[in-house]
Amino acid sequence: MVQLSREVAIVGIGQSEFGRNLPQSQLGLGATALRMALEDAQLDRSDIDGLALHMGWPLGADYDRMADVYGLEVDWVYQCWTHGRFVTSTLQAAVMAISTGMADVVACITAISFTRELGILGGPGDAEGMREHGATHGENPVYGLTSPSVGAALAMQRYMALYGATSEQLAAVPIAFRKHALLNPAAIMKKPLTLADHQASRMIVDPLHLFDCSLITDGAAVVLLTTAERARDMAKRPVHIAGMQAIRSGRSEFIFAPPGLGINQQPTERVTPRERDLAVYRRADIGRDAVQGLYTYDAFSPLVLFALERFGFCGPGEAAAWIQDGRIELGGALPMNTSGGLLSEAHVCAWNSINEMVRQLRGEAGPRQIADAAVLQWGTCWGDSIIMRN
Amino acid sequence: MDDETKPLPRITPDDQIFWDSARQHRLMLPTCSHCQRRSWPPGPVCPYCFSDDLTWTEASGRGIVSSWVVVHKAWLPAFAADIPYNAVQVRLEEDVSLTGNLVGAGNDSLRVGLPVQAVFDDVTPEVTLIRFKPG
Repeated sequence: MVQLSREVAIVGIGQSEFGRNLPQSQLGLGATALRMALEDAQLDRSDIDGLALHMGWPLGADYDRMADVYGLEVDWVYQCWTHGRFVTSTLQAAVMAISTGMADVVACITAISFTRELGILGGPGDAEGMREHGATHGENPVYGLTSPSVGAALAMQRYMALYGATSEQLAAVPIAFRKHALLNPAAIMKKPLTLADHQASRMIVDPLHLFDCSLITDGAAVVLLTTAERARDMAKRPVHIAGMQAIRSGRSEFIFAPPGLGINQQPTERVTPRERDLAVYRRADIGRDAVQGLYTYDAFSPLVLFALERFGFCGPGEAAAWIQDGRIELGGALPMNTSGGLLSEAHVCAWNSINEMVRQLRGEAGPRQIADAAVLQWGTCWGDSIIMRN
Repeated sequence: MDDETKPLPRITPDDQIFWDSARQHRLMLPTCSHCQRRSWPPGPVCPYCFSDDLTWTEASGRGIVSSWVVVHKAWLPAFAADIPYNAVQVRLEEDVSLTGNLVGAGNDSLRVGLPVQAVFDDVTPEVTLIRFKPG
């Protein structure tokens, strides 16, 4: 009989070194992270019966090669290709597989070697941008728009015009995450970032400066999940999946903008969060006020503003002012991306931030620890979310 | 695409008429015969009423800049000489949003709300791109 309602927990995390031009292959980095996650969970490789990949050709191996070279024999597979927007989908698929009984122990794996693949990231080898009438992030190479950054830039430019937000205000995002990275030995960025540094950094796509754009790095991360029942007797304190909502799509959506900002075919009427935007809180049976830290996909700093508005932490157009004065820093009202995020820790398709959430909820975050962390939210500007509790 | 040539649009059965019309310097939009609404991007059905009774009607070409960027990095070698170059999204009077470039004015004229008019740029004998000028 299919069991449709098993509770699910994260029981192991692992990650490789994060760096640039690392000598290992993607599969090599992934193997390091998988070994660490298995040790963390005190599980054996043979316990894994499900595999959820957030990577794929041409930016990494596919599931079949991975199972082959790691010697895994699995009964359930899921694969989302290497796009940040599928981090949540991948983790959610693993949760659903366990919840429905299709798998008992799922390994979520991402392994990235972006520094070897620069030509694919918005360069001549990036065939995705050639989708008719533009790709997901607003890329349209016919008109010279070839990188995902253009989507964040289009959204931020309009946001600035509508609400008077400034680049100086936006700088609070990378400055906060750099402070967090300085407390994280695994983070790639080691120097403080000042407002003057941010403003003086070269323009990539106006209005985005260099420090508004994520790092381009190599690294791997693994998350192991199983049933909450099994997790009770395992090595580490389980981190429970308390509520989820999925990626949104439709004519009202643009991947890098909140609803109603007016990018692509979006309507131009901004909306405060609706019932459907806040389902994750109802499913977790908490109020938004219970969230002690928010983690989000920070490929570009405007995405952080849009995530805050998407989930109603502040109103439409208010986020640029709301994040000032340390509000999203450790010690602030709503710490975000406490390991440094994609902007200052590493670009591991945000699995570095998922791992950080687990460390926080176990009380293992050291100098970055959010006091008494019990409820944390993962939530992206494209509307998907997972609430975790310990 | 090779590294030195600017990319050209991929043309499909859903947008063949759009590109054919552009070559004739006409801006045509998919229009639903059932609910009369224009839509973008071109598809096989009307996204509003799901009718497959689509026709093409000529648009005014008038719109306003809804957002803009200026690109400072050469991701594609073919655009390196153009840096810094702009791109715009334009909300047409017909309430669809097109992407293009602002021409006939410097990047310092870019602003959200700028009124623009479509122009036709014959980039090859076979392909005409739609861009925008102030107006």
